[in-house]
Amino acid sequence: MNALVWRLHRNQAYIAGAALAALGALLLITGITMTRDYHAFLASCAAARSCGHAGQLFAGDGAVTSLVNATMAVPLLCGLFRVAPLLAREFEDGTHNLAWTQGVTRIRWLNHTVLWPVLAAAGWGAAMAALVSWWRHPENAVGAPVRLATFTFDIQGIVPVAYAVFAVALGIAAGALFRRVLPAMAATFTVFTGLRFLIAEYARPHYLTPVSRSFPPFSDNAAPHGSLVLSNATLGPDGQDYTAGLGFQQVPAACRGNGQQAAGQLNSCLASHGFHTQILYQPASRFWAFQGIEAGIFIVLAAALVAVAYRMVLARDA
Amino acid sequence: MSVAIQTTGLGKRYGSVWALRDCSVSVPRGHVSALVGPNGAGKTTLLKILAGLSAPSMGEAWVLGRVPGQTGEFLDSIGYLAQDVPLYKRLSTDDHLGLGAHLNRHWDASAARARLAALRIPADRPVATLSGGQRAQVGLSLALAKRPEVLLLDEPVAALDPLARREFLASLTEAAADGDLSVIVSSHLLHDLERVCDHLILLAASRTQLCGGIDDVLAAHRVLVGPRRDVADAGRGLTVIKATQTTRQTRLLVRLDGPVLDPSWAVTEVGLEDIVLAYMGEGSMLAASPLTAIGPAR
Repeated sequence: MNALVWRLHRNQAYIAGAALAALGALLLITGITMTRDYHAFLASCAAARSCGHAGQLFAGDGAVTSLVNATMAVPLLCGLFRVAPLLAREFEDGTHNLAWTQGVTRIRWLNHTVLWPVLAAAGWGAAMAALVSWWRHPENAVGAPVRLATFTFDIQGIVPVAYAVFAVALGIAAGALFRRVLPAMAATFTVFTGLRFLIAEYARPHYLTPVSRSFPPFSDNAAPHGSLVLSNATLGPDGQDYTAGLGFQQVPAACRGNGQQAAGQLNSCLASHGFHTQILYQPASRFWAFQGIEAGIFIVLAAALVAVAYRMVLARDA
Repeated sequence: MSVAIQTTGLGKRYGSVWALRDCSVSVPRGHVSALVGPNGAGKTTLLKILAGLSAPSMGEAWVLGRVPGQTGEFLDSIGYLAQDVPLYKRLSTDDHLGLGAHLNRHWDASAARARLAALRIPADRPVATLSGGQRAQVGLSLALAKRPEVLLLDEPVAALDPLARREFLASLTEAAADGDLSVIVSSHLLHDLERVCDHLILLAASRTQLCGGIDDVLAAHRVLVGPRRDVADAGRGLTVIKATQTTRQTRLLVRLDGPVLDPSWAVTEVGLEDIVLAYMGEGSMLAASPLTAIGPAR
């Protein structure tokens, strides 16, 4: 059984291995340079007893950064081109009739057909994530770009493994459901990108209750370095949003004065009347908690999809 | 004589459409049976049920006394070649034989290799580059390499040219000759199979119309020709399969239940193809009612 899976997919395994090796080599070379720059920077900070704009330190690595960000598409591509056709092509070419009348039962055939791609995807995702996480560790250390932000969050830590496993499960379920290569690929693409976008955009910022901080109105205070800021608004005593500024009529009469007072005076007067700037953010320290929650969501979805695929394959006629 | 395949009241429904209905057949071991019927008669459905690929909606099927299903014992006992000979296009013949060796407990690779070598079929080229006839031979070799007791072939020669067809059937005859292999081979044309089969299963209108040894089927049918008369009247006491009328003559193809007593009929023997066409054809008077097995009770 393993021989069948390997014989059918060994070429893809070779290509995937080669791609991983190439990316690995590139990241190793640029990563070593980045690490060296980072340590040189730290040394210069220590000498000068102050640090400048660490965020600008790696701004020059645009092309490699793009490439690293592009690894986000890897789970999708894997699910789309490798796994969606996996079952769908068997059905489309009718070879399931051949496979299912050999001496192995259908469930054993399916176990192997599902297990190996899932393991391969998980292994591949883990290798990519480890590489990218290592490559980005100086950037993570200086906190720019923000590690919880889209793109940076999605390509390191443990979520790439979950995405890869999810993409594989999705491809298998779509293949079992549609039994045609193109519809299976289309469904895999649509569901994967759609769900990833929705979760990253709408669910992820709220995995944990954001930290809220209030400051005097219109003050320049910010969330701690490296946090993911969800909102930064100036609110009135009634909770109304005055971020864009107040009209003269909206300023409490007591604070209007003669219209000539300094901004500081006005702001402290507004503060005493209940105006304040509120920042909602997710602190950088929640990175691993968020990784765990997001990975959990996608692993659970993947398990559900695999269960659907098993039902489809075992209960339906050839 | 032990039974290779037995079905009782077998039916398969897709949505509201019955692909197969009231199918009751009994095939003794060691025979090559032709499963004949027009397109859409349920031949593929019956074979898929027998191969354990499809679950019947009603009735029961036994293959060598086992209910077709997902057990190693059953799967080891059958060889199945699906319609259009599905193979992994990018793999070679050798690859397929290698896979078979991994997927089956009893695998006779050397016999398969010898067969394919004798047919001069390249072992190392992707099967997609082989001709239709060569692929059919590869499919047959794979099915035979399992050393099955029952071999189910679904329209294996439908897409082949006459020469490849003849070669395929010669291979099949050779394989069936040694051992007590039972074969069911389907076709929408009896003509393809007449020479290699000794048993006939006729499906039409999703039902079994005939099931029996070919000699028995031949012995049980006659053509009666006589002066023109009302068919309903003339057919009394006879099972009329097909009636044709001219202005002066009435011609009946009948299944005999006993001797023909009316001396005004000229009784002649009839060929198998005519019998089959009569059951399948437009004028058939029996399309809606299933028939039971023909020949001596087993």
